[in-house]
Amino acid sequence: MAISSESAAGTMQEKSLAGTGSWMFSGPLIMIFCLAALVPFVTNDYWVLIATRAAIYWVLVGALNLVIGFAGQLAIGYVALLTLGAYTTSVLVAGNVSPPVPVFGALAIAGVAGAIFGVIVGLPALRLRTFYFAISTLGFATIITQIALAWQSVTGGGIGLPGPEMPAPFHTHAGFYFLCLTAAGLITWMTANIAHSRFGRGLIAVRDADVAAEATGIRKARLLMTIFVFTGASAAIAGGLFAALQTYITPDAFTFDLSVLFFISVLIGGRGSILGPLLGTVILTLLPEFAAPLAAWSTFLYAVLLLVIVLVAPGGIAALLDFGNRRVLRANRTIVPKAALVGHLLATDKAKSGIALRGVVLSFLGVRAIDGVDLDVEAGKIHGLIGPNGSGKTTILNVISGFYGPEAGSIALGGEALKPGDSESRASQGIARTFQTPRIVGEASVLQNVMIGGTIRGQSTFVESLFCLPRHRGDERTLRSEAMTALSAVGLESLADIRADRLQHSELRFMEIARACMARPAFILLDEPAAGLSADEILRLGQFLKAISRQGTGVLLVEHHADLIFDICDYVTVLNLGRVLAQGTPAEIRVHKEVISAYLGG
Amino acid sequence: MLASIIASGLAVGAVYALIGVTYNTMFSASRVMSFTAGQLGMLGGVFGSLFVLRLGLPLVVGLVLMLVCCAIVGLITEFIAVRPVLKSLDQHLYVLSTLALALMIQQVVAVEWSTEPQAFPRVFGTGAGGILDEKFWLPVLTCAVTICALELLYRRTLTGLSFLAIAEDNFAARALGLPERNLRMASYALAGMIGGLAGFSGGQLLLAFVANGPLLNFYGFVPVALGGLGNNRGAIVGGFALGLFQQAANFLVGGIFSSVAVFMLFIAVLLAAPRGLFGGHLARRV
Amino acid sequence: MKTTRREFAIGTAASAAASAFSFPCPAIAQTEPIRIGWLAALTGASSAPAIGFDRGVRYAAETINATGGVKGRKIEVTTRDTQGDPTKAVNATQEMISQLKVHAVWGPTNSGESLAITPIMARAKMPNIHPCVIDSLIDPEKFPNAFRTSPSNTQWNDAVRTYCIKVLKVKKVAVIADTTGYGVAAAKYSTEALKKDGADVVYVANIDATQPDMTPDMLRAKNAGAEAIVVWSTSTGMDARMFNTRATMRWDVAFVGHPSMSSGEIKSLLEKPANWEKVYAVGYRSCSYDANGKLPPRNEEFVAQLKGKVELSDTLLWWVAGGVDAINLIAKAVENGSTSPDDIIKYWNSVKKFPGYFGDYTWSPTEHNGYPGDDVVMSDASSAKNGAFKLAPGYS
Repeated sequence: MAISSESAAGTMQEKSLAGTGSWMFSGPLIMIFCLAALVPFVTNDYWVLIATRAAIYWVLVGALNLVIGFAGQLAIGYVALLTLGAYTTSVLVAGNVSPPVPVFGALAIAGVAGAIFGVIVGLPALRLRTFYFAISTLGFATIITQIALAWQSVTGGGIGLPGPEMPAPFHTHAGFYFLCLTAAGLITWMTANIAHSRFGRGLIAVRDADVAAEATGIRKARLLMTIFVFTGASAAIAGGLFAALQTYITPDAFTFDLSVLFFISVLIGGRGSILGPLLGTVILTLLPEFAAPLAAWSTFLYAVLLLVIVLVAPGGIAALLDFGNRRVLRANRTIVPKAALVGHLLATDKAKSGIALRGVVLSFLGVRAIDGVDLDVEAGKIHGLIGPNGSGKTTILNVISGFYGPEAGSIALGGEALKPGDSESRASQGIARTFQTPRIVGEASVLQNVMIGGTIRGQSTFVESLFCLPRHRGDERTLRSEAMTALSAVGLESLADIRADRLQHSELRFMEIARACMARPAFILLDEPAAGLSADEILRLGQFLKAISRQGTGVLLVEHHADLIFDICDYVTVLNLGRVLAQGTPAEIRVHKEVISAYLGG
Repeated sequence: MLASIIASGLAVGAVYALIGVTYNTMFSASRVMSFTAGQLGMLGGVFGSLFVLRLGLPLVVGLVLMLVCCAIVGLITEFIAVRPVLKSLDQHLYVLSTLALALMIQQVVAVEWSTEPQAFPRVFGTGAGGILDEKFWLPVLTCAVTICALELLYRRTLTGLSFLAIAEDNFAARALGLPERNLRMASYALAGMIGGLAGFSGGQLLLAFVANGPLLNFYGFVPVALGGLGNNRGAIVGGFALGLFQQAANFLVGGIFSSVAVFMLFIAVLLAAPRGLFGGHLARRV
Repeated sequence: MKTTRREFAIGTAASAAASAFSFPCPAIAQTEPIRIGWLAALTGASSAPAIGFDRGVRYAAETINATGGVKGRKIEVTTRDTQGDPTKAVNATQEMISQLKVHAVWGPTNSGESLAITPIMARAKMPNIHPCVIDSLIDPEKFPNAFRTSPSNTQWNDAVRTYCIKVLKVKKVAVIADTTGYGVAAAKYSTEALKKDGADVVYVANIDATQPDMTPDMLRAKNAGAEAIVVWSTSTGMDARMFNTRATMRWDVAFVGHPSMSSGEIKSLLEKPANWEKVYAVGYRSCSYDANGKLPPRNEEFVAQLKGKVELSDTLLWWVAGGVDAINLIAKAVENGSTSPDDIIKYWNSVKKFPGYFGDYTWSPTEHNGYPGDDVVMSDASSAKNGAFKLAPGYS
C-alpha cells in the first residue's frame, strides 16, 4: 500500500519524499483488522455476528466511499444494490430459475449483476444535479423491493427465501466471519489502491474542482462509470454475504434505515478518507447494540449525528484524526521558484508548431463576448493577452481549452483543427492551463493536487491500480517524483503534504502552475497568475515563465500587470470589447496610440 | 370509474402540486432543495388531527395553530439546516442537513404520535362519499386559492416583489439593500404554511400518517423536476399530471407496479430533459 | 476449520475457566433464575400485537414470581425491541443465545422476523415459541425446537373460507390485500385455497396501503360480481377506507378476513359507525362473547383477574392471553423437567390440551402447530369490549 493520504499528511513528509509506503496511513487500518481477527477468540458468537455484520457492511460502504466520499455523488439509496445482491445470490443458490449454482459462483454472478445495475443507478449522476441524483437513487431503492415482492415465483414474494448456505469451512460462525473479514480487508486494500492512484485523485478533482478536472484530461463520465461498476459489484457481493448472514431474506429486511446507515457511515467518517468511514461503519453497527433501550430512537440518533457532522465537523472523523494539519504554518511565507529545475520538469521534444485562432466568434445571451478574433501562440514564445475587464480574455482561454465551442471561426493546434467544446481532450493534445480563481481540491494535500495534473500520463488501467500491479506502482513513483520536482521548481516543496486549502492565495497560483506543468504540455494558458502576488514574487514568476518558454513550451498569458507583460512577452495582443485592438511586440504595443488611450491610460 | 380516477387523481395531484410549490418557495429564497418539504405536508395532517380531534379545538383554531406550527418548522429548517450551509452552496451540504432534519421530524412523529394512520377531521362535512366528497375537491380548491394568493403576493405587493428579486439575483438584491435574511426567513415560514396546507387539505385523503412524509417528499419533488426548479406554474401542471398518471396506473396495473411506473416516468423525463419540461437556464461554469 | 494447537490451547484454557466457574454448578442451578428472551416489535410500524403480548408477559411473570417462582426459581424476562426489522431480530436472537444465555425464547411477533431467526434458533437448539402465522415457520424436522401457539395461516384461511362458503353461502369472492410482503403472500395462498374449495375467485388485487381512494378496486370487485370480499392487510387505514368506500357505493357486500379489521384504531377512521357493520374478522372462540355476552368460563375469570392490573380496552384479549400462555408454557416445562433445552422441548412435545387462556394447545413430536383449528372463528369486527368480540352470525 503506497504513499500519502490527507489523513496522515504533514507528519510524513520525509517518507513520501523517500517514496516508501506510509505507516501513518496503513498502520491504523492494519491494527483495526488485527483486532478484528481476535474477536472470535475472545468473545462469543453474538459479538462474532455483530463483527461479521460490520465487515459485510464495510464491503459495501468501503466501495460506496469512492462514490460518496471521493466522487461526491450523493447516492443515498444504495440498499438497492444490497437487495439485488442478496436476492441474486439466494435465488441462484436455491435454483429457482436455473440449476442450483454453488455459493461462490452465485456470489460472482451477483457481482456481475451488481456491476450492471450499479451503472444503471449511477447513470443519472452524469446528467442530474445533486438533489435530483439523491432522489433518483432513493427511487431505485423503493422499486427494487417492490419488484422483489411482485416477482413471487423467483423471489418468494413476501415470504422470501432462504439465504445461501456456506460450504465448509465457512459454515461456522467463525469461519464465515473470517471470510467476510477477508472480503472487508480486500475492499480496504483495493479502495486504498484506487485512492492513491490517478483514478482516486481524478474522483476528488471531479468532486471539488470539476472544471480543473476536465482541463487536466480527466474523463468524468468514464471515470464515474468505472467507479459505479466497482461499487455496484462490491455492494451486490456484500448483499450475497448479507443474505448468508441473515439465513433468510424477505423484502422487509432491506429498510431505508439501512441505506441511511451506509450513507452516514461515509459522511461521519469524512470525505476522501478510508480510515474514517471504516470507523464510521464500525461505530454505527455497534451503536444500537450498546443502546438497546434506545432502539426506537436509533434512526433519530443517526440523523442528529449527521446534522452535527454537517454543521460542526464537516471533515468527519478523518479530520479529527488529522493531527498533521493542526500544525501552525508560518505566516507571510514568500515563494522562491527555482527556474533552474524547469528543465527537469518539461521535456524538450516539443514538435507542435502553434495554436492558431481564426475569426472566432462567441456570444452569451446575445452579447458578443469575442467577435472575430485571430490569435497565434507559438511554441517557445510567451504571448501576452491584455485588455480591460470584459474584453474577452478569459473567454478566449475558455474557447481554446474547449469549455465553449465558438459559433464561428476555427481553432487549430499545429495545423490540425481542435474539436470545439471538447475540454477533456485538451490535456492529451498538449494544452494545460490555470484559472483566474484557482480551482483546487482544498481537502487534498498540495502534492496530490499537483499529481492530478499528471493524470493523462498514467499508464496503468483501473484494474491494475485496483490490485496494485507493477505498472500502477511505476506510475505512482514517476508521478510522485515529478510532482515533487514540479513543487520544488515553483518553490512549494516544503508544503507538499499540507492540505491545499491552508495555503495562501499566491501559493495556490504557483501550485496551479506546477499542476499544469505535470501534463508536460506544449502550451500553457495562464489566467492572471500574478494577481495577489507581491512585487518580488511577480519578478520571480516572470523569470519562471521565461524558463518555461525556453524549454520550447508556448505560453499564453492573460494579465493585468502591464509591467510583467512588457517585461517577459515576445508578443502581445490587446483586446477591447471582444475584438483585437492591436497585436505586436511589446515595443510596438507600448507606442500604439489606440492602446495608450484605451488601456494603458496615457 | 373514470370519474373516480379523475377525482382522486386531481385531489392527490393538488397535494403533490402544493408540496412542489413548497419546494419551490424554499428554493427561490435560498437556492436550496429541502427534504423537509414532504415532512411539512405530513405535519399538516398530523397537527390538524392533533389539534382538532385529539385536543378537541374548533376547526378554525386548529387550522390557525397548524399554520403557526408549520411556519415554525419552516423557520427551524431555515435556521438549522439551511443558513449554516449557505456559505458553501457548491458543496451541496444542504442535501445532508435537510435530510437529517427531515429524518428527525419523521422519527419524532413516529415515536410520539403514532406509526398507524390516524383519523383527520371533516372540514365542511358535505357530500359524504361519492366523487363530490370534500376530500376530493378540498385539496383542489386549496391549491387554487393558494396559487391565486401567491400570485397576488408576488405581483401586487412590495414584499412579494422583493421575494422575486431575491429569487432572480440574490447578490444584486442584497446590493439594492433588500433585507435578504429576513426575506429568506419569511419565505421559509411561507413554505411551511403551504406545505402544512397541502397536508391539511389532503388530510381526509392521506390521513394523519407518518409514512406520508417520505411519500410526499418523493411525489412532491416529481412535479418540481417535471416543471423546472422554481417554476410554480410548472409544478402545478406537473402535480396534476402526476396525480392523474399515478391513479390511472394504480387502476390499470395495480398497486405494486404503479410506483414502478411513476418512477420510470420520472427517470425517463429527467434524463431526457434534466432541467424539466418547462426549461430553465444553465449557469455558466467557467 | 482445522483446530490448530494454539486454538486448542485457547480452547482448553477457556473450558478450564468455564469449569472453574461452574464448579458450584448444582447450587446455582437451583436458585438461578429462569431466563426467558422476549423478541418483541414494541415500536415501529406493526407494534400493536407485541404491545398486547408484552402486557401478558409481564403479568404472567409477576404472578409466577409473586407466588415463589418455579421450583424456587424466579422468572427473568429479557426484552429486546426488534422494531419489526429482521436485521435487528437476528442480532437480538444471537445475543440471547450467546450472550444472555436464555433458556427459552418467546417471539418474535412478525413473520418477516421469524423467518430470519428460525434457522438460527434451530442451529442453537433454542426452545422457541412464537405467534407468527406463516406456515413454513413450523417444521418439526427442520426446526425441532420451534413451536407455534397461534393458528397458522392455513388455519386462518380455513376459518375465513369456511365462513364465506358455509355460513355466508357465497360463491363469488374477491380477494384484496396490501402490497406488503405479508399481503402479497396471503393473497396468493388465500386465492389458491378458495379455488380448491370450489369458490369462484372473481377478483384479486394487491393495493398500496397508502392509496387514498379504494373506489377503483372496489368497483372492479363489484362489477366482477363479488358477494364477499376477503381482506388480508395489517393496515387499519386501508381497512377503514374500504369500509367507507363500500358505504359510498351503497353496496352491502361482506368483508371477511384479517384481525386488523377489528382493531380499535378503525373506529375513528370511519365516516359513520354503521360502516363497520357486516365486517367479520378472524377471532378466537376463547376470546369471544356468546349470545349471552359471556366469555368461556376460564376467560371470564381471567378478565376478572386482569381487571385493574392490565389495560384491555386498547388492545386485544387474545394478545394478552397469548403472552400469559407463553410464559406459563415455559414455566410448566421447567416445572416438569429442567431449564435444559432438551427437557423443555421434550415437555412441549408431550403437551396435550394445555389449558391456556388463548386456547388449548396440543403438540406432538410431529406436529408443532398447537392451536386447535376449530377454535378459530369469525367475529363481529365492530363489537370489541375488553379486547374481545362477539361471534359473527352463524356460530352457535
